[in-house]
Amino acid sequence: MKMQMNVIKKYHGTVRAVAVVAVLLSAIGIMAFTLHKDDKSGKADPELFVVKKDSVASVKAFKQVYTVLMSARCMNCHPSGDIPLQGDDSHLHTMFPKRGVDGKGVYAMKCANCHQATNTPGLHTPPGNPKWHLPPADMKMVFQGRTPHQLAKQLMDPDQNGHKNMQQLIEHVDDTLVKAAWNPGEGRTLPPMSHAAFKKAWLTWLSTGAYAPKGK
Amino acid sequence: MISLNVNQKAYQVDADPNMPLLWVIRDIIGLTGTKYGCGVAQCGACVVHLNGEAVRSCVTKVSRAEGQQVTTIEGLSANNDHPAQVAWNEENVPQCGYCHSGQIMSAAVLLRDNPNPTDEDIDNAMAGNICRCGTYLRIRKAIHTAAELQRKEVKS
Amino acid sequence: MQDISRRYFIKSTSTLGVALWLGLSAKGDTVKSLDPAIAENFSPFILVEPNGNITIFNNKPEIGQGTFQSIPALIAEEFEVSLDHITIKLTNGEKQFGRQSAGGSSSIRGSYTQLRKVGAAAREVFIKAAANRWQTDATNCYAEAGEVINRTTKASFTYGELVGDAAKLDLPKDPQLKDPKDFKILGKPAHRPDIPLKTNGDAVFGIDVQLPGMLYATVERCPVLGGTLKSFNAGEALKMPGVVKIAEVERVIGRYSSVGVAVIADSYWNAMQARKKLKVDWDTRGYETFNSSAYDEKLRSMANEPGLLDKKKGDVDSLTLKPENIIEAFYETPQIAHHPLEPLNCVAQVNGDKVEIWTSTQVPSSITGGQIDGFKPENVKLNATFVGGGFGRRLSVDYVNEAVSVAKQINKPVKVIWSREDTTQQGTFRPMTFSQLKGGFAENGELVQFEHKVISPSYSEANRKDFNIAKVDGTMVEGIGEQAYEIPNIKTSYVRADYHVPLGAWRSVTSSTLAFAQECFIDELANKAKMDPMEFRISLLHKPSDTKKVLLKLKELSGWDTPLPKGRGRGVAVWEFFAGLCAQVVEVTYSKDRSVKVDKAIVVIDLGEMVNPDNVANQVEGAIIMALGAATKPGITLKNGVVAEHNFYDNPLVRIYEAPKIEVHILTDGGKIKGVGEPGLPPFAPALANAIFAVTGKRIRKMPFDLQYI
Repeated sequence: MKMQMNVIKKYHGTVRAVAVVAVLLSAIGIMAFTLHKDDKSGKADPELFVVKKDSVASVKAFKQVYTVLMSARCMNCHPSGDIPLQGDDSHLHTMFPKRGVDGKGVYAMKCANCHQATNTPGLHTPPGNPKWHLPPADMKMVFQGRTPHQLAKQLMDPDQNGHKNMQQLIEHVDDTLVKAAWNPGEGRTLPPMSHAAFKKAWLTWLSTGAYAPKGK
Repeated sequence: MISLNVNQKAYQVDADPNMPLLWVIRDIIGLTGTKYGCGVAQCGACVVHLNGEAVRSCVTKVSRAEGQQVTTIEGLSANNDHPAQVAWNEENVPQCGYCHSGQIMSAAVLLRDNPNPTDEDIDNAMAGNICRCGTYLRIRKAIHTAAELQRKEVKS
Repeated sequence: MQDISRRYFIKSTSTLGVALWLGLSAKGDTVKSLDPAIAENFSPFILVEPNGNITIFNNKPEIGQGTFQSIPALIAEEFEVSLDHITIKLTNGEKQFGRQSAGGSSSIRGSYTQLRKVGAAAREVFIKAAANRWQTDATNCYAEAGEVINRTTKASFTYGELVGDAAKLDLPKDPQLKDPKDFKILGKPAHRPDIPLKTNGDAVFGIDVQLPGMLYATVERCPVLGGTLKSFNAGEALKMPGVVKIAEVERVIGRYSSVGVAVIADSYWNAMQARKKLKVDWDTRGYETFNSSAYDEKLRSMANEPGLLDKKKGDVDSLTLKPENIIEAFYETPQIAHHPLEPLNCVAQVNGDKVEIWTSTQVPSSITGGQIDGFKPENVKLNATFVGGGFGRRLSVDYVNEAVSVAKQINKPVKVIWSREDTTQQGTFRPMTFSQLKGGFAENGELVQFEHKVISPSYSEANRKDFNIAKVDGTMVEGIGEQAYEIPNIKTSYVRADYHVPLGAWRSVTSSTLAFAQECFIDELANKAKMDPMEFRISLLHKPSDTKKVLLKLKELSGWDTPLPKGRGRGVAVWEFFAGLCAQVVEVTYSKDRSVKVDKAIVVIDLGEMVNPDNVANQVEGAIIMALGAATKPGITLKNGVVAEHNFYDNPLVRIYEAPKIEVHILTDGGKIKGVGEPGLPPFAPALANAIFAVTGKRIRKMPFDLQYI
């Protein structure tokens, strides 16, 4: 296997970023990075995030990532159309709410009109999150119907992933809306693995070169 | 005590912060124009405006509304003369009438955000409001009428 | 308009000075009196006060069907007053106002002539009073806008000014009804006076009633239908905030009764929170193993039973038709819920042997007429409100009796609210009907045999303890033997199946399912005869009939003979039953993904006479939306004895984006007066299924069917 070292210019560090990298480290153990103080700002910054390419490990990790992203909890808000999906069977959301330009719905059918900051108690009630929304109309980030190959490519393409760079992708795994998948409200099935396991797979995938599984 | 502003009037309400805004409005404040239909954000009978947005008060905890502007059907206009209300009367929309507080509150947001809605815009905006009597065709027509009234109002 | 405010529901009628009541006696004669006590002995539909205030009483509950305008309109037309200048009051089941109920599309049919007569008699007596004052002949005077005017002098008196004089005169026994060509209100599109109240929150529905010191209650009922309470532990629930009392209460529905647990609290929300903490042990009486799927299978197997004969014409059994000239088909329809958008609710206050009730009901007369258990009719006071949808669910008074049962527990007014889940899961329901159909042609191609056997539980058995099951339940075979088609040999029959679930009439009752089976099968027969479905129907109608008239009109108005582009189809159906007569053509588009879009319904409804064409159109539009839902949305099923559906997420209703275009044409040729509220419903599902057959060749024999994938 051909190994290659890639050095990515790291972001302005935050406590969370450090934590992310720490997890990475403990998870993989072979990653190299540097962390030093930015003399001017005094913040922990910049760091060097080192990716060690390993296509086999990467593809293996992505297969795990894929099972989560294609689970109802993630895919339902990444539909192929402009109507979110709903339920463990990912049917079209009742009453057909529309994406809207910003992904937050339209007119009297804005997501936050029903979806509160927290889950509403009871079965079949709207799950909640302060940021509840779909991807915006100009960047739909569709999961539904994507093959592992397509989804992996899409996730790494800034023109399709919400203009996210590596650091933002790393951060995204701890996004409150992403994590909402593991607190979906009563009666909803959880993604097929824990958030910690998903995060490990996600970061492994990224840190081993974000290879896309073969195929179409 | 929770401070609420409903229809431009201040209220101090002694309620569980988890109590849905619907029941605070109806049973504590005593404004019964806002209706209970399903309790799970399916039917839209309970729509009120929270800072201008058409929220479903049956799943909105009263704590979310604290210090915010709440408008109910009773506060939509002083004389039943919001363009949607006028149009609803002109087109004889309601039958039993139970859902129409919510219908009108939803329509008012549509008319604000889109002064010239198409049938499709109307369907998109009103999809969350159930009318068991089936007055949907009239709702569509009345929203077009209201949009026209609103445009005239703006001109004059 | 402000006169019709929420206040009048609570306050009793108070009059200024001596006011004149005019109305009908029990025998149907026009009567009047200045004495309110005497007026209590007749039906006082009009009250004229000396200050000119005029009140007209509407004795048919306003459930959305428009009686708030249509009933007063009958009186106002003849009395020459504008509905804009009078007060309209809903009656409260008072004995003197006769049968106060809304059901069977009967309000106008039953009142059309009688109430016009009241208005006409009143008009004549006030004209006479004015003529006497002017010492002129009554023919020299006319009434307009609540005044009597002297044709010669142009002088005028308001009705109010004439109260004293009019009171002294005899009412005409047979007043002259207006010539319909002079109508100002009847037959003209009109605004309904209840609509302004329904656009600003002023209209008071039962659930909106607020009384000083009122408590709220919710009831935990046995989830297994047919079961009842064994025991309960209120310990934790009692500790919840606001809880006042927890008690056993009884619900009686038809021949069934069941005990549940009521949680009474200071707010509905608190009551609901405490209800979740109840620990209840139910006696499920063996019904916990009941499953709809097995029951449906049983109904299918019962199709082989001969059943009870309903109607017979000619002799189908003596026919010897060739087997290839006979077709048979089996149709199935689901059990469904009514889903009025206002959940069931009732406020009750018990005071010793008296009870006062505030509620949304279709049947005020039942509540005050002896159906409140344990109270003498004269000790029951009802305050009827606007009704947030009935559709038959509010013909039952189970929820009223249950609320009274709750109120007996506590010395305060209490509002019992059923959650949407309670309303969905506890019935009543429209029963499923399964239909076995058979038709046969003679050698010459004439349709000579028609048989329709209905297999279903019995509505009447569910609702009446004294119902004799050895007899046909006429409700379950409604309309099937009464269609105008002239077929020489017809046999209709009924196979009754045991059932334990509360059943209730659902808008258009059993016609809502039987029309689907029968009118789709007529289409199958047309297909067998290789005839156009419209022409086939008309060919079965030789004699003049309302059905023939309606179909011919529909053929013309729907452009039936104009072919539709590829991928589109149209279907037709007609249905006559107790409530009225309506025919429809439905147009659909079939897509490559096998989905069907309902483009348009063209409707002809035959009324004879009508009050408000705009309201008729609104009713028919609504009936079609409701029929679309009943045809295409999942019904109510039981799993392990419990209703599997809960709320609109799993028992959905039609939403705005599903609404097709609807064209309503009304026939008013002065013939037999027919109903408005229900007849728009039965023809829709068969016309839709027939349209789908026309475009796909696929025959749908089971409701509901999924339009997304045919």
